[in-house]
Amino acid sequence: MTPGPLSYFLIAAFGLGAVVAGWLVFRTDSMLRAAYWLMVSFVGVGAMLIVLDAQFLGLILILMMSGEMTIMAIFMIMFMMNPAGLNPMTMVHQHRTSILAGVGSFLVLAWVGVVAEFPNRPAPVEDPTVALGEELLGRSMLIFESAGVALLAVMIGAIALAAKQGRFGDAFAGSVEPELDVEVGDRT
Amino acid sequence: MTSLGILLQVAVSLVAGAYLFVVADRLMGGSTQGVRSALVYPVKRLSFLMVQPVTTTERPDFEAWILAPSLLLGLAAVGAVPIPVGGPSAGGDIPAGLVLFGAAMLIVLVAVFIFGWAPNSVFPMIGGYRSAAMVLSVGIPFSLVVLTTAIPAESLSVGVIVEAQSSLWYVLEQPLGLPIYLITAAAIAFWGPFDLPEGADIVGGVAAEASGPRLAMWRFGRAALLVTMSLMGQAVFLGGYLGPVLPGWLWTLVKTVILLILLALTGRTVARMRVQRFVWFGWVVLLPLALVDVFLSGWIAL
Repeated sequence: MTPGPLSYFLIAAFGLGAVVAGWLVFRTDSMLRAAYWLMVSFVGVGAMLIVLDAQFLGLILILMMSGEMTIMAIFMIMFMMNPAGLNPMTMVHQHRTSILAGVGSFLVLAWVGVVAEFPNRPAPVEDPTVALGEELLGRSMLIFESAGVALLAVMIGAIALAAKQGRFGDAFAGSVEPELDVEVGDRT
Repeated sequence: MTSLGILLQVAVSLVAGAYLFVVADRLMGGSTQGVRSALVYPVKRLSFLMVQPVTTTERPDFEAWILAPSLLLGLAAVGAVPIPVGGPSAGGDIPAGLVLFGAAMLIVLVAVFIFGWAPNSVFPMIGGYRSAAMVLSVGIPFSLVVLTTAIPAESLSVGVIVEAQSSLWYVLEQPLGLPIYLITAAAIAFWGPFDLPEGADIVGGVAAEASGPRLAMWRFGRAALLVTMSLMGQAVFLGGYLGPVLPGWLWTLVKTVILLILLALTGRTVARMRVQRFVWFGWVVLLPLALVDVFLSGWIAL
């Protein structure tokens, strides 16, 4: 797409949508809604990338986030003391620290955005996906491969911790089924 | 092709395909009332659901409950956009069309999970969790076999992939592709032997509490999803519109109907698979086979 008023309008609209969805993550009282508002926010970022001609990158971001947010919702529900996650619960904690962290990171990022001189290297017009592949498996190969190996190690560790036969032994060791406290004669 | 043309093409193919799918399923289900009854069945069922009173549950997530069926149908439509139907230019010419399809199909999981979650009820929620376990187990093999068709074609555009099959269809060049694709597609569309998210053992699963227009939309969305899966299957594995004598759109129609009937048939003929066993099957059998498919295709392409 050639840059024009429409592109600028679309980028602004998707960006605003992503920010509003990100804000709604903390305004809702349902863990599922929080997870999927975050997904909507990422879809907005993906759409911005698509408008910026990085079609493959934007779509792959949306593709990955759908599965990831579902996994995140399931993990949140598993770890919270909230039966099946169906009870409403607040999504914000440690108000003072989080406000300070939020304002601080916004100021730093805004400062970087205003002050930094970004390089002007437009993507090749023919096929940005090919250029992306050459970058991933060429100049930046070491960075991405190390990150990939690190992520794989984290995944194996997470599976080892979550497995029924984890490093602390059988997950059900010592657990006793609750007894049914009913006497037969009670039911007339 | 203009945007309006693509919109019309997607709408017509999804409505007609969904109609055909419901009729085929009705006939295979051993309906004793003959073919004519089966032909009007989708219309009768739709009219019934449109006037059926809508029941609700205690404190449902109302917006999510209404959104989920529309999301399912919308994703089926988005997935159908990049598929060329009648010839090289008949379809959205999207450079990364295959990725668009993959992204739309994997977000189906979100629609099913939300639809199970929203009623605030036990059985739909169990159905949603079942769907998550099944789709997360086959999501990677599904994406791998679809993206492998892009290796010999050297493009992510569906039109280019169809053109690259002029000498040999990928169903023969990548023999592992189509079987894995059909199994995983049925699982993502919670259909056939993998319909346990809507299983009878949990009184209808994700759709247990749904009724009225909402249920009609949900059923239409699932049928449309299977149509989109068949459309993409014929485009990337069966050579799409390529074929002798007949015009291109007719070849697309014939191949899509064959895949759609094949998928519909599994609903009545293949035994269901338990979720735990299916998860094992996805990670231990389908994923390595999909990787073999990638390596073999890459080797042939090199």
